[in-house]
Formats: sequence, structure tokens, C-alpha cells
Amino acid sequence: MKVSAVGLSKRFPGVQALSDISVDFLPGEIHAICGENGAGKSTLGKVLAGLYSPEQGHVALDDRPVRFSSPREAQAAGISIVHQELLFAENLTVADNLLLGEIPNQFGWVSDRRMHETALRWLQKVGSDIDPSMEVSKLSVSKQQLVQIAGGIGRGAKVLIFDEPTSSLTATEATALLGLIRELSAAGTTCLYVSHRLDEIFAIADRVTVLRDGAWVGTKPIAEVTPSSLVQMMVGRELLPSSEGDGAFGEPVLEVRGLSSPGRFRDISLTVRAGEIVGLAGLVGAGRTEVCESIFGVDRRATGSVSVAGKSLVLGSPQRSISAGVALVPEDRKRHGLVLGMTIRHNGSIAVLPRLSTLGWLNRTAESRTVREFTDRLRVKAPSIESLVGGLSGGNQQKVVLAKWLATDAAVLLIDEPTRGVDVGAKVEIHGLIREAAASGKAVLLVSSDMPELRALCDRMIVLREGVQVAELGRAASETEILSAMAGV
Amino acid sequence: MMQQVGLLAVILLLSLVLVRFSGTHVDRETGQTVSNFFNPGSLVQILTETSFFAIMAVGMTLVIVSGGIDLSIGSVYALAGVGMALTMRAAGWDSPWAALALCIGFGLLAGVLNGTMVATLGVHPFIVTLGTMWVFRGVAFVVSKAESVLVPGPVTDFAKNPLFLGKGLTPVPAIVMGLFILGGALYLNRTTMGRRVLAVGGNADAARYAGLPIPYILAGVYVIAGLGAGIAAFLGAAYFGSASSADANGYELYVIASAVVGGVSLNGGRGTVTGAFLGALLIVLIRTGIRLLRLDQNYEWIIIGAAIIIAVVLDRLGARLLEKRMVNG
Repeated sequence: MKVSAVGLSKRFPGVQALSDISVDFLPGEIHAICGENGAGKSTLGKVLAGLYSPEQGHVALDDRPVRFSSPREAQAAGISIVHQELLFAENLTVADNLLLGEIPNQFGWVSDRRMHETALRWLQKVGSDIDPSMEVSKLSVSKQQLVQIAGGIGRGAKVLIFDEPTSSLTATEATALLGLIRELSAAGTTCLYVSHRLDEIFAIADRVTVLRDGAWVGTKPIAEVTPSSLVQMMVGRELLPSSEGDGAFGEPVLEVRGLSSPGRFRDISLTVRAGEIVGLAGLVGAGRTEVCESIFGVDRRATGSVSVAGKSLVLGSPQRSISAGVALVPEDRKRHGLVLGMTIRHNGSIAVLPRLSTLGWLNRTAESRTVREFTDRLRVKAPSIESLVGGLSGGNQQKVVLAKWLATDAAVLLIDEPTRGVDVGAKVEIHGLIREAAASGKAVLLVSSDMPELRALCDRMIVLREGVQVAELGRAASETEILSAMAGV
Repeated sequence: MMQQVGLLAVILLLSLVLVRFSGTHVDRETGQTVSNFFNPGSLVQILTETSFFAIMAVGMTLVIVSGGIDLSIGSVYALAGVGMALTMRAAGWDSPWAALALCIGFGLLAGVLNGTMVATLGVHPFIVTLGTMWVFRGVAFVVSKAESVLVPGPVTDFAKNPLFLGKGLTPVPAIVMGLFILGGALYLNRTTMGRRVLAVGGNADAARYAGLPIPYILAGVYVIAGLGAGIAAFLGAAYFGSASSADANGYELYVIASAVVGGVSLNGGRGTVTGAFLGALLIVLIRTGIRLLRLDQNYEWIIIGAAIIIAVVLDRLGARLLEKRMVNG
């Protein structure tokens, strides 16, 4: 089925999310929609799927104008969306979730048997062996995604919209998903692929549409674009290439010996010197985040010896780790990094309150000055430091987390997935900030699932596999070397 | 801040209605005709009644902002009052300062108990304080043998001291309330601990990852709630001249209602102390209004209940409109 956006415009308070977008999505094609965060690519997907209604323009199916007032109507017409943030009633089973809108029943009594059978049939259509009676919360993110896709296909979707589907998947899972999308499109399903991961776009898309600030920039067959021309379309400017470090480092700052945590990882030993960026590579579940959390003191069961600048650190308390000079920029910034309902000023100062107060009395001038100093240096884009953090884009939120920890003047920065869900422009900036921090003499331990990011930033890489340190690779290591160490092949 | 403008408007509107419709009476001393509502006696009386709720609502606001709840606050009031009155009688003291110290002491003790349990047991504060709500009142009941205990005269004189006002006016509870609200507001907005309370209530995980001493922060707000209940108990017992284990029965709900009407979010992380005061004032005004407008007193609970829901719905509506305006502007 051909689906078209015809002059679509959508306004949100304070921002024109889409302005006059017209694109045809052809039957059976994989059409990537890309752009920086805030470019309007997710909004376009949501308008097509009936989650938002446009102020101007309309959606057309095979050139017939249609108007959806709910995602259910869009589903009935054959358009389903696979969400960026998975929306499930996590306490219910797979079958319950799949059929939540239309639970098979007789006079209000749920027919479990029919529900199970339907769910099973739908799951088989996407080649999955997930048990419909499993609780959704027990499934991995990739399996949950399959359930969503099965829901769409099962309801007879002719058009599937994937909204950043791989942002929480491991490399293997992502590859499997891309394979499935190819199969679906070969079977005639029109697939819209909203993403800013260029490697994936080039791997599967037939055509690509680029949006910038809510406006259409271009739609091109994938053969006519290159990664750099695509990025240029997305950001509207050339990006600077990454610079190489000079390889001269100072004294060891972070020394970890025999660090273990039962069931998570064991016997990790590493050293990070002043000015050095050491990468922790590994598949999801290899224990990278857990190592950082142990050094930071969040994991109370961790054993082993950690010392910072020669002083030994007693593990098990973030307060102790922070006062020893350790900072953690956590993987999940919304859960662990920020209080979304507080302002930039409040978030930026939260880790240094004692320094900004006398006898518990906050010096608000000093607070504003400190926060402003760091948010300026990190080029956080916001109306003022009194803006709520929850309203900022992912990249700016991440910069606020970085600012908060740079303000502590920590000697050791543990940085976990710094650019997840961050747009291309902000990513380059954050990379620059991490390099700057290292250049100023900080010891940086970097966790990332983004291979180019690791290779661009790290002076060395330590590879973990299933909680064990398996390799140490230098800057020159190739992507294949790193991947094979991670996967153990 | 803006929310309180709406609440303030409602309070002013209600006051205007009361000025217009509450009727008049002839003052026996001056012989002048005065409004039943808008006269010094009634106004001070309303503030006095408000003070018992509002002082506790300050502590409750901090507790709710931290993401918790304190159901035991009325029981702490009863325990502190009874404990003070019994100790004063047994020791033969009659100093109001001793009474104040005792009430504060008992209140703090109860707060420390609540706080320690919330911070260390990992049980939801609703359950911890539901338990202590009965335990504290039960202790007060047992030690007082269910009798009302008289408070020494000088203590009552202290609470009913007219100070600079005319005879028969009792501004002391209102003044104490003002000081406590000021202190609470400064604590929440200007101290590091207040900021930490907001952070823990806003996102406890992020607060932990920022290295905040969460158990101390949590325990702290219950201690302050206990302190408030102790002070309110002192004022109440002194003002009414006696303390009993049945005092302040059900007050926890009035206090929670005051905080919620004042704009505190039950999800934590958002709320103001002055809002809680205005919430308490509104509830007392409604109660007074029912009496002054000669409405059937049997309808008091129905009116208060409906008013709370309406106030909160209007408040949220106003906040949403404001948010839109700020984003668009």
C-alpha cells in the first residue's frame, strides 16, 4: 500500500514540529526518515500512525485522503507503529498486551484460550517463538519489540512505522531486526524507518527522506547519497573530523585491582592515567555498566581494591566515591542522571551543594555562577538555567549531566553511553567535551555500544565478555578485532 | 508561585462572600454594628484555628515533597499533648517554656521513630506511619487512661496572651504559625537539605547517583513533621486547657488535604510551604463559612470534600493553561 504525507503541518506549543511535509512512501519499500533530534522525524511517524492529528494537510492511502482520530483507526486502515519507548502493560502477559484493545470475550468473560491462540499465530508470522503467556516485563527489549511488530502484522498492517527501533538493542539483536524488516518489505509491507543511525539506514533503506527543524530537506534513493552528504543534509553544515590524541599521559589516577561483583562480573583490573580515555567495550550484559557502578559505589556487593590518585577507596557508597574524586555519567540519564522536574540550576548544583553553602544555607549567587559557568562552557542550549531539564532535548540533557559532574572537579570520569539518543550535532560536541576533559588531566573510563564512538575517542580499549576481562586493544585495533573480542569468535 | 495566585483568589472570593452574606451583630462593648465575619475577633479566631492545621501542614508538605506521607501526624499531636500534660502534672511544673520543650521533645521523638523506620526498613511510608498512627494514639490512650488531662493555668495564659492586641484576642498561635511557615519555606528553598528533599522526591534514583545521603534526607522530613506536630500540640493543649488521647483525631487527613490543596504533588518533588498554609486557611474558611452563613452543619464534610476535589482540579487546570502560555510566549 502506498501511504503519502500531503502538506502535513503540526504545531506543538512553542515549536513548529512539521511544516508542509509532502512525501510518498511506496508499496514495499524501506523508507528511512532521518534528521537530528527535534527535526520532526518521530512526529511525522506519529501523525502517519494516527497518534497526532495534523493542523494542515492530510495522510493519503493509495491517493485516497484519510483522517485518523486515533491510532486504532490507523491500525484498522493498515498502519501500525513500533514505538521508540515501548508501551506495554508490563505486568501483563504477551497475549494480554497483543490483544489489549480487543480482548476476545464472551459477555465480558475473557477467553484465555482464544487469546493465546491468536497471539501465538501473530508471533509466528514474525518468526518468533516467544511464549504468549510470558509476562512482558520478563522479555528483553528486543523481544518486546518483536511483540509490537507481531501486533502490527497480526492486525494486517500494510505499513509499519519503526521509530528508532534499535536504540536499546545489542548489535546482534539489531542485525536480526534489520533482517526481519527486509523480509517484511520483500513480502510487500511498506516500512518507514525513523532513525539517525546512518549505518543502519545505509544497510536497509531503499530511499531516505531528511527533515530539518520540521521542514523537508530532501528525499533521495539511497544510492545517491553518502554518509557525509546525508549528515550534511541533516545538520546543514560540515562536521569536523575527529582529532587524534598524542599518546602522552600522566600518572595513573584510577587503579582497579581484582574488582568483582557476584553474578555480574569478576576479577577486573585496569588502570586509567591522567589525560587518558580508556574504553570499556562489550556486548549488552557483558558487565560494563556494572563495573562503572561498582567503582562509583552504587553496587554494595562489589569487592576488590580501587584507588584514586594513590588513595584507596572503600567501595559501597556513592558519597565516598564522589568525595574521593569519582564521577559517574550514568547510562540512563532520565532515571539516574537528572531530576526532570527540577531546573538546570538545581540539577547542575546537586552534587556540589556543600561547596555552595555555609552551614547548610545555600548561596544562590554562587550556585547560579557555578552552574552558568559549566553550562556555558558546555554550550547547553536553553532559555535560561531556570528552565526545567525535562523540557530539553536529549543532547542538552546529557550536557547538563556532564556539567553537573564537571562541576565536582572529579579526577575520574566514568562515562556510560554518553551519546545514546543524542542527535548528530550534539554527539560531535559531547565527543569534543570528553576529549577536552581528558586533555585537562582527567582520567576517563568510557562505556559505549557505539563502535565508531569508541574508536574515535579511546586511547585504549578493555573488552569484557560475560563479566570477564578478555582483551585489551590499542587505538589502532580494527572494528573486526574489537567485535570478535566482544563476541568471543 | 503562580498556583498560589489562583488559591489566593479563591480565598479572597470566599472572604468577600462571607463579608457580604455573613450578617452583622451589635458589639456589646462599643455598641457598633459589626460584620459577623470581618471583625478582629473572628479573623483572629480563624487564624488560630488555621494555625493548628497549617503548622502540621508545613511538615506534611516536606514529607510529601520527599515522596512520602505521614499518616501519624494527628497521633503525634495527641501523644505530645498528653505526654506534656502528664509530665507537667507529675513534676508539678507550670512553666509554658517547659511545656513547649516537652511537646517539642515528644514530637521529635515520634518523628525520629517514623523517620528511622522509613529510612531503614524499606517499607512504604504509608504503611510505617499507618502503623505508628495507631501505636502513638494507643500509647497516649494508655498512659492517659483515656482521660482528659488538664494543662497548668500559666501555660494557657501563655497561649492566650493578647500581647499588643485588645482583650479577648489571642494572636500567639497565629504568630507561631507565621514563624513556622517562614522557617519551613526557607528550609525548602534556601538550604541544601531542602534542595535535597526536592531532588529525592523528584527522582530518588538520580539523587542516589548524585551521592546524596538519602536515609538522612528521608528521616529528616519526618523529624520536622514530628516537630510541627509537637508545636501544634503545645498550642492546642495550651489553648484549650487540656490534652486527651482523642485530640486531633482525623487531623492527618485535614493536614494532607491542606498540603494537596496548596499544590503539593503526591508523586513528590513539587510543592510549597506557603501553598500548604493557604490550603489550610481555605479549609478553615469553608468550615467557618458554613457556620456563619447558617448552612446546615450536617453538610460540612460533604462541602469540604467536594471543595478539595474542585480546588485541586482547578489548580491543575490553571497550571496546565499557564504552562501552555509560557511555552507559547
